[in-house]
Amino acid sequence: MKTETSSQIDINMKNKTSHSPWAIARRKFMKNKVAMISFVILMIIITLALLAPIIATSDITKINVLEASQPPSADHWLGTDKGGRDVFTLVLHGGRTSLMVGFMCTVFIMLIGTTLGLLAGFYGGWLDTFIMRIVDFVLILPFYVFVIALNGILVKNSVVGGVWLLIIVISALSWGGATRMVRSKVLAEKENEYIMAAKSIGNSSFKIMFKHLLPNVISIVIVQATLLFAGMIVAEAGLTFLGFGVPQSEPSWGNMLSSARQSDILQNKVWMWIPPAVLISVTILCINFIGEGLKDAFNPKSSK
Amino acid sequence: MKTQDVTEKPILEVNNLETGFTIDNKFYNAVDKVSFSVKPNKIVGIVGESGCGKSVMSLSIMNLLPKGIGEIANGTILFDGNEINKLNNNEMNKIRGKDMSMIFQEPMTALNPVFTVGYQIMETLINHSDISKKDAKLKSIDLLKSVGIPRPEKIVDEYPHQLSGGMRQRVMIAIAIACKPKLLIADEPTTALDVTVQAQILELMKTIQQENNMSIILITHDLGVVAEMCDEVIVMYAGKIVEKTDVDTLFHNPKHPYTKALIQSVPKLDVIQETLGTISGIVPSLKNMPEQGCRFVDRCSMAKSECRTKTPTLKPTVDLGQADDSKEHLVSCLLYDEA
Repeated sequence: MKTETSSQIDINMKNKTSHSPWAIARRKFMKNKVAMISFVILMIIITLALLAPIIATSDITKINVLEASQPPSADHWLGTDKGGRDVFTLVLHGGRTSLMVGFMCTVFIMLIGTTLGLLAGFYGGWLDTFIMRIVDFVLILPFYVFVIALNGILVKNSVVGGVWLLIIVISALSWGGATRMVRSKVLAEKENEYIMAAKSIGNSSFKIMFKHLLPNVISIVIVQATLLFAGMIVAEAGLTFLGFGVPQSEPSWGNMLSSARQSDILQNKVWMWIPPAVLISVTILCINFIGEGLKDAFNPKSSK
Repeated sequence: MKTQDVTEKPILEVNNLETGFTIDNKFYNAVDKVSFSVKPNKIVGIVGESGCGKSVMSLSIMNLLPKGIGEIANGTILFDGNEINKLNNNEMNKIRGKDMSMIFQEPMTALNPVFTVGYQIMETLINHSDISKKDAKLKSIDLLKSVGIPRPEKIVDEYPHQLSGGMRQRVMIAIAIACKPKLLIADEPTTALDVTVQAQILELMKTIQQENNMSIILITHDLGVVAEMCDEVIVMYAGKIVEKTDVDTLFHNPKHPYTKALIQSVPKLDVIQETLGTISGIVPSLKNMPEQGCRFVDRCSMAKSECRTKTPTLKPTVDLGQADDSKEHLVSCLLYDEA
């Protein structure tokens, strides 16, 4: 009887506390209050942005001169812009664009960076030299100037337009740092004996790279991706503010901010630019706190 | 019995193996014209100080040398009659882990931290046989049991960081023997473990070797381990074999000054010793290796002037008072050249 109950307890214990590196990191992250609060706020912002077509139904493509530049009221919670469009609706729809640009850029950059970094670090030799020289080349290009120039050249000749073109251009110019980082981590990690042990049981190089090496460098990739996500949202806002990013026809946080270039709006009609500005700041702060939290969670030496 | 007539044919034959590294566009031999063979069901010990080329040799046999840095320059390695040093990586992957496997020195880093130990044993089984995941898991539990791990059905789902060093080394052994290889290369398998655990692991390896009719190449610098485990011993110094014989002859009648010095530097329980014998100096580095003459000359207490000019070769010697000719005793030293 007694042994049965004790084994029962053992099984329950096992289900509760898995010791996989992922489970340990998740538990550490959940205990990090700042990171968890940031995570909840970010999730709310993302949900609102994703649900924008359902929550905010007023037509953002229609210009209504009669309702132009109204301060916040019961009808328009955050007022209206110069074209008479509801700012609350715009800020939600704009969030969709801004977050999507940030997210897709991050996905593309990390995909390219991780693959090339793994190849360069694992194989070494001429492949490493070749990839790293391209990285050097990409990294020395001045980012804003080249995004503006490339966007200008491609916008006339490309099949994809607008937002997707911007995503492709930003990604094409930003993968250098990620590649370098993944490569350096791979270089350190592949010296461990378990990589040789994996070879000694007859695994192919491809399998060693993606099955044995990748899970051991993925933590740094995740942390880096989080911080990159914040950076890319800023990049979108900055480019659009300057007038070279998302086309004017699409609402985005950067587009809304750019209206503040007029001093009348900047001084007297603050409801037009404060909501996107606050959202950008809060989103980026949250993402950065989450990134720090993840960094701690994946670090076996931190007890936080 | 069938195993009897196979016994004569060596499982591994290394002929004139030269492995080295290219440093500043010059090639340096870390293993210099080494030849030996391993018979089925035997344990061959390779002893020598750090930097003698023991590990480089084992990596050459497994074809695991770091690409672009180390390479086999000369010689052949015959495994089970096939010349494996000419195989490409894919062909080698079919042998590695199946017919020939390796135990590493450092159990702390030789297991992948992100996978459960069960997964890592299953991987070997799945790589080399058509086995379902479920069967592989059951088999890995059996394997864990056979290497003496308590509660194997629990441990199979645990991660390496939850196990002690001795347990991890047992897991490494379980991985290495999963496919019942014909040859197991153990590169200082007990160096990182404390003495009691060391004894258990050696015992385990010997049991497994006898049960599965394996051959083992045991690389170590512990003569105690050699005396305990091995049938034959190869003493290496600076990339060359200096003495090769069976284990009894080596301990009772060591010939090469290096072997003698090594044996003298082991503490003995039955003799009161004030100071322990030492060999002063270190193994010359690859770049400072003497071009001719004996490589041990600078540290040898019996060196003659001709030792610096004449390079000794590995030759059979006669053991005095030993009537049994079948035991081979090879020494590479000028002192025994005239005899």
